Amino acid sequence: MNHSADDTIKIRVTGLDFSYRKRPVLKNVTADFAGNSITALTGPSGVGKSTFLMTLNRLWEDLPGASMRGKVEIRLQGRLRDIYDRSMELTELRKKVAMVFQTPNPLPMSIRKNMAFPLKLAGERDKSAVNARIEEALRMANLWDEVKDRLEEDARALSGGQQQRLCIARALITEPEVLLLDEPTSSLDRHSTAIIEELLTGLKERLTILVVSHYLEQVVRISDRVVEFAGETIVSL
Amino acid sequence: MKTVREIAAERTFLLSALASSSITVGILAFMVFMGLPLLHEGGFFAILGNAWDPYRGAYGIYPMIAGTAAVSLLGLAVAFPLSLGCSFLTAGIAPKPLRGVLRRFIELMTGIPTVIYGFVGIFLLVPIIREFFRDGSGMCVLTAALVLGVMISPTMTLFFRDAFDRIPRAYLNAADALGASRAQKLIHVMLPLAKKGMLNGVILALGRAVGDTLIALMLAGNSAQVPSSVMEPARTLTAHIALVIAADYESPEFRSIFACGVVLYLFTMALTFLVRYLAHGEDARI
Amino acid sequence: MRRRILEKATVWFSWAAGLTLLASVAVLLCYLLAKGHEALSTGLIFGGTPPLRALLLQERVFDGLFPALAGTLLLIILSIAWAIPVGISTGIYLAEYADGRVKKALDAFFDVLAGIPSIVVGLFGFASAVFLHRHFSDRIGPCLLISSISLSFLVLPYLIRTTQAALEGIPGETRLTALALGATRVQNIFLVLIPRSLPGIMSGIVLAIGRCAEDTAVIMLTGAVASAGLPSSLLSQYEAVPFYIYYISSQYADPAELTSGYGASILLLMLCAVLFSAAYGIRKGLTHCTLYRA
Repeated sequence: MNHSADDTIKIRVTGLDFSYRKRPVLKNVTADFAGNSITALTGPSGVGKSTFLMTLNRLWEDLPGASMRGKVEIRLQGRLRDIYDRSMELTELRKKVAMVFQTPNPLPMSIRKNMAFPLKLAGERDKSAVNARIEEALRMANLWDEVKDRLEEDARALSGGQQQRLCIARALITEPEVLLLDEPTSSLDRHSTAIIEELLTGLKERLTILVVSHYLEQVVRISDRVVEFAGETIVSL
Repeated sequence: MKTVREIAAERTFLLSALASSSITVGILAFMVFMGLPLLHEGGFFAILGNAWDPYRGAYGIYPMIAGTAAVSLLGLAVAFPLSLGCSFLTAGIAPKPLRGVLRRFIELMTGIPTVIYGFVGIFLLVPIIREFFRDGSGMCVLTAALVLGVMISPTMTLFFRDAFDRIPRAYLNAADALGASRAQKLIHVMLPLAKKGMLNGVILALGRAVGDTLIALMLAGNSAQVPSSVMEPARTLTAHIALVIAADYESPEFRSIFACGVVLYLFTMALTFLVRYLAHGEDARI
Repeated sequence: MRRRILEKATVWFSWAAGLTLLASVAVLLCYLLAKGHEALSTGLIFGGTPPLRALLLQERVFDGLFPALAGTLLLIILSIAWAIPVGISTGIYLAEYADGRVKKALDAFFDVLAGIPSIVVGLFGFASAVFLHRHFSDRIGPCLLISSISLSFLVLPYLIRTTQAALEGIPGETRLTALALGATRVQNIFLVLIPRSLPGIMSGIVLAIGRCAEDTAVIMLTGAVASAGLPSSLLSQYEAVPFYIYYISSQYADPAELTSGYGASILLLMLCAVLFSAAYGIRKGLTHCTLYRA
């Protein structure tokens, strides 16, 4: 096996087929993604970019009528693991492979509670530890200075760009190794987009980022590598 | 890999669903079980077709079936035009600010307890009917049907409104763009498109009319004869159950109320499936 | 020209129908108020007994509605207590777990259950009581317990449908938010989906309470009686306001009793009006389709 030779591979997808309501979306997709890089996924809408992201954290399993075949391996804590293996715990996987959606989706609660939510799910009770991690994650998302005095306010009162950074911070709080972003800036103005692009570039040192994007400029600006999706498969790497 | 809590919660949900659905089956099964001895004696259809004359040993429920049909169909005939008119009013005939108020009021009317309709019916409508027609006690099919009609109208109106509300906005915009008046829009666009939904409303309202107990019990006079005119008293299946319940548990009278229960159950079930079938067809079309 | 007539006729017809219905209900309300307003006092509820002593259960109320009101209240609390856990869990199962054939079958079951006339449910409760009495214990008969269980069957479809509709109305993105953060399915349901659908579920509960308060057919078969005082246990008979109204209509002895019947009607009507406007107020989008699945 030459697996061990290539320690830089973070995600390896082999022979992935995906269909939704009996309609094929992805066919025989095979790709490797290197660690600590930003990969942009582009292509026309409806070719399965978002679906591809969902196969990496198994979120598609909650969509009715979807089915998948193939193998997805992700290097977690230094070991390349088949994420569809029975030994892989789903909630653990989703904490390590975090996801941010197209439209900001803060939950209808305060900023602090939104941030603490993933920790609450994990059963973390130590209040000072929670607060410390909230601050750390918000700093990583370059949001701390803007919200530190209003943590008890409803998260939906933030601007669109701030909401999206809050969602990124919320995803970061579980200390993920992979961050999936599905067109994270498509609902934001130019200024907020620039802030988030800068943020993502900075995060590259800590984790591996896959971002779906329609905007060619953005793709060129921030990504180390571009993967283009077209008609059920990947055409250029 | 699921935790114990996860599995326990899922099992609880599943168990609740099974328990609640078993109630549906359980009620019918128990009813049939209790009425079984009666079926052995005379056969099911004999009970449905025979007259009620306990002194001569006849325990048929045919008069009650006829009574139920008379009261509920006449009630429906009263309610249909009222509900049609009210749904037209709230769907566009009435001026805009009034529509919302009207709808709100009709929603509230669905909450008036049936026993209150019956109570006011006895002391207000029964004397009027008695004086007006100068015939009998005033407790008759007509009295019960009038009150029943008023009772089910709000529900039926809301069903009609739901049918109107499901019409795609685009059709209404098209009618508006062509300069149709509110009445024209109603007659030529909304009515044809909402026909099926309105039929559903009528069927569901019929179910309520057949299932209502208190109004018929308090106002229809309760004589166990097939009524030959709307001025005569009648007894419905529901009222029959309420009246005979005090009889001796082993008596054939007591057994006969389970036949009533089974008939009511099966009839409302048939209506439910009819509505489901019609609604299904509608989904397939869109 | 003929078209014009049709349109005009439609407008006239609509107003006539609307005014007829409104007038009937207005007459009903005015008649009740005219006949019953003089009965509205603390005497209507407590009779000759001092209210405080009655409330503290120190003295029995003989000629007032207090036992009937207490009976109705107990009945509501018990029925809702049985129905809420089962109804909401079933709603969750339908919305979040059931799929395909299972969902269709369950849907059909609950549609049928929602359509069963209340007297049939009452008959079922009564027959069960008789059955238990003969085969298990002669302490069991028609009673508060049997009534409340029967009533909970009656309101179960309301709770199931409102819960299911509220959960299914949540947009897909909200549904995935917590899952993507590592929530389990159950955590997602309890921490995100249920809190989001609370208004819908609450309106279902309020409607169910209204139904329990007004139902007469079930309770007259399963243990409501004209005079029982306050129920001493779950296995005793009880009084209830709607049954009292029904009883007075046929058995009143003197005008004073009849007047208190009007008074009781006004009380019950106000209670139901408050509950129903609360239910519709809590969730404006609550259509009749939610309940009847037309």
